[in-house]
Amino acid sequence: MEEKIVIKNLTKEFYDEQRGTVKAVNNLSFTAYAGEIFGLLGPNGAGKTTTLRMMATLMKPNEGTISINGFDTAQNAQNVRKSMGFLSASTALYPRLSPREIITYFANLNGYPEENTKERVEELIKHFDITKYADTLSEKLSTGMKQITSIARTIVHDPPVLILDEPSSGLDVIVAQKIHEHIVDLKNQGKTIIFSSHNMGEVEKVCDRIGVINNGKLLTTGTLNELREITGKYYMEEIFIYLVQEYESVKQKKIETSND
Amino acid sequence: MLLITKIYTMNTLIRIYLKDLLRNKYTTMMVILVPILLYPMLYWGITQFLMVKSGLTDNQEINLSLDIRSEKFSSIKDSIATIHNFSITETSNENFNKDGIYLIVTEVDSLPYYTVHLDSTNSIQKQFFGKLEGKLSDYYDLQLGGRIDASAYDNEYFDTFWIDKHNIDGEYETMTKILSMIIPLMSIITIIAGIGTGAVELTAGHTEDKTTETTLTTSLSRKKIIMAKLIATNIYGLIAGILNFTFLTFVILQIINTLMMQFAGKSFDFDWSLIFNIKVILITFLSLSIMSHMMSLIFVAAAGFATKRKEGNILITPFFMAFMMMSYVVIIPAIEPSLVISMVPVLNIAMMIKLLLVNDLQLVFFAESVLFSIVWMFLLYKLLLPFMLEEEIILGNSNTSLIKQIKGRFAKWKKK
Repeated sequence: MEEKIVIKNLTKEFYDEQRGTVKAVNNLSFTAYAGEIFGLLGPNGAGKTTTLRMMATLMKPNEGTISINGFDTAQNAQNVRKSMGFLSASTALYPRLSPREIITYFANLNGYPEENTKERVEELIKHFDITKYADTLSEKLSTGMKQITSIARTIVHDPPVLILDEPSSGLDVIVAQKIHEHIVDLKNQGKTIIFSSHNMGEVEKVCDRIGVINNGKLLTTGTLNELREITGKYYMEEIFIYLVQEYESVKQKKIETSND
Repeated sequence: MLLITKIYTMNTLIRIYLKDLLRNKYTTMMVILVPILLYPMLYWGITQFLMVKSGLTDNQEINLSLDIRSEKFSSIKDSIATIHNFSITETSNENFNKDGIYLIVTEVDSLPYYTVHLDSTNSIQKQFFGKLEGKLSDYYDLQLGGRIDASAYDNEYFDTFWIDKHNIDGEYETMTKILSMIIPLMSIITIIAGIGTGAVELTAGHTEDKTTETTLTTSLSRKKIIMAKLIATNIYGLIAGILNFTFLTFVILQIINTLMMQFAGKSFDFDWSLIFNIKVILITFLSLSIMSHMMSLIFVAAAGFATKRKEGNILITPFFMAFMMMSYVVIIPAIEPSLVISMVPVLNIAMMIKLLLVNDLQLVFFAESVLFSIVWMFLLYKLLLPFMLEEEIILGNSNTSLIKQIKGRFAKWKKK
């Protein structure tokens, strides 16, 4: 399988007046392959967003390397950005622009061929069922409509890698379901998707492989079945609690398994 | 091809920002409504200012050209000579100039008739005129007494004292003087208001809405995004300035017209070419563009430290006040163009526009002002751009490495 995202020993430190230097991400490594959804699961403040921001070249790591679609974020940030679409935790839409305008503008900003832009925008509007509100200012849209517009905006330039930071956070079940369907659909088109969430259920449902992160450390990675095997637990919630509490023993168990 | 693509993406970004700003009802209302509320207050203030008589110093002298056209009243010179610091020259050449007062004394009905030419916008001349008026009145009364004694007429019949006062400048020139004080001041204030609102919306507002974050993940460089914000802020400020400037000029002229109709019974036909000619428009626009770009740089940098619009407004307030104060200086008549003035940002451009409007083309001062403004802009770019590009500033966390260093040094100093 083609390696689309390779992260090695990633560390990010922040300065905090009360706590001094804090490691938001601590020596994190993982690989994501073409056509898979890799879930980053962790509680709030675990380091998920910081990791994604470093992948999106918004932040520079203090240590470690990130390679996306064969480009190093430190050496070739512009090509990295061209190869990916980033969906932030909030809908992040210009409130006084309509979905059609936003999608068009992002196609232009990402260098999508001008002659094909209109066609591409209309295709996405139709695909995501945005037609009814395509010309309404986004400040007047519901959270669900905004998030769907955001996804369309993220993929408008057809990037091979997608970084989605809590894409269904704050949405009702029906809209969340719709978004999950869209994400799976994108995966079926061959995209590599990094999907962060603190919702165990959706990670279990959508992701091919899962990385559990807590206090900036990646506790373990694997498919749902592999995690079940390592922890001896069935549900994702139990697996997560077990991993957080028994981190050291799991690490040891993993080392032993790999030695065998 | 690469350059065309770069310009195209930059344009797209500027268009997004401008569209976002212009569609914002609240910011647009602020930019347009606030100055509209300010106009009446400012007009009142300036009228009051012009009416204030400045204090005279002991050694202040003023020239009085005395043109006595009736031998009968030659003794008036001795009467006027008692006024302290009046330098009297007898003349008959009718050479009216702004440097002094010209008094013509003629005879009407065996009594003195005075015609005075002075610069009514010169507060010192106005103050001397007050003293002169007293002496002229006393002299008239003296002559009137003699006339009453010499005739059998009733005292009431002669109870008239008349001074025909002429303003040397003429209406247009006085008007241009007033506008030359108000226009630089108001155009700068409205530009500051526009830039402030634009800067807060495009930096703190976009950080609050997280749109900066998503724009940063496109293939555009950070520098390009910051530059697009600067240019959009600059354009928005200039649009606000031009709109307000035009509106204000019309409002003021309308008020003056109404006043003239009320008190003088005639309408005021202002020669618009005094202000709206290519030379004035071009130089004013160019100088205001340089100044507004410099202001945009400072405001975008200051508001960039904020994560919310509210914080952004607080952060730009000191700069807003400072620039406004600088532009107020131009309405002080004693402030003359100099090398020092040309070095002071904002004030130099305000002074330049003021001079332009009264057709006083001091080219050396203009060149110095533009040059120093460009130097300021360059220095500010050097100083502020690295800050603005820092990831923690651009993403809304002001704990930058430089601030950390400053804090660290301060903590060490405190320990010592």
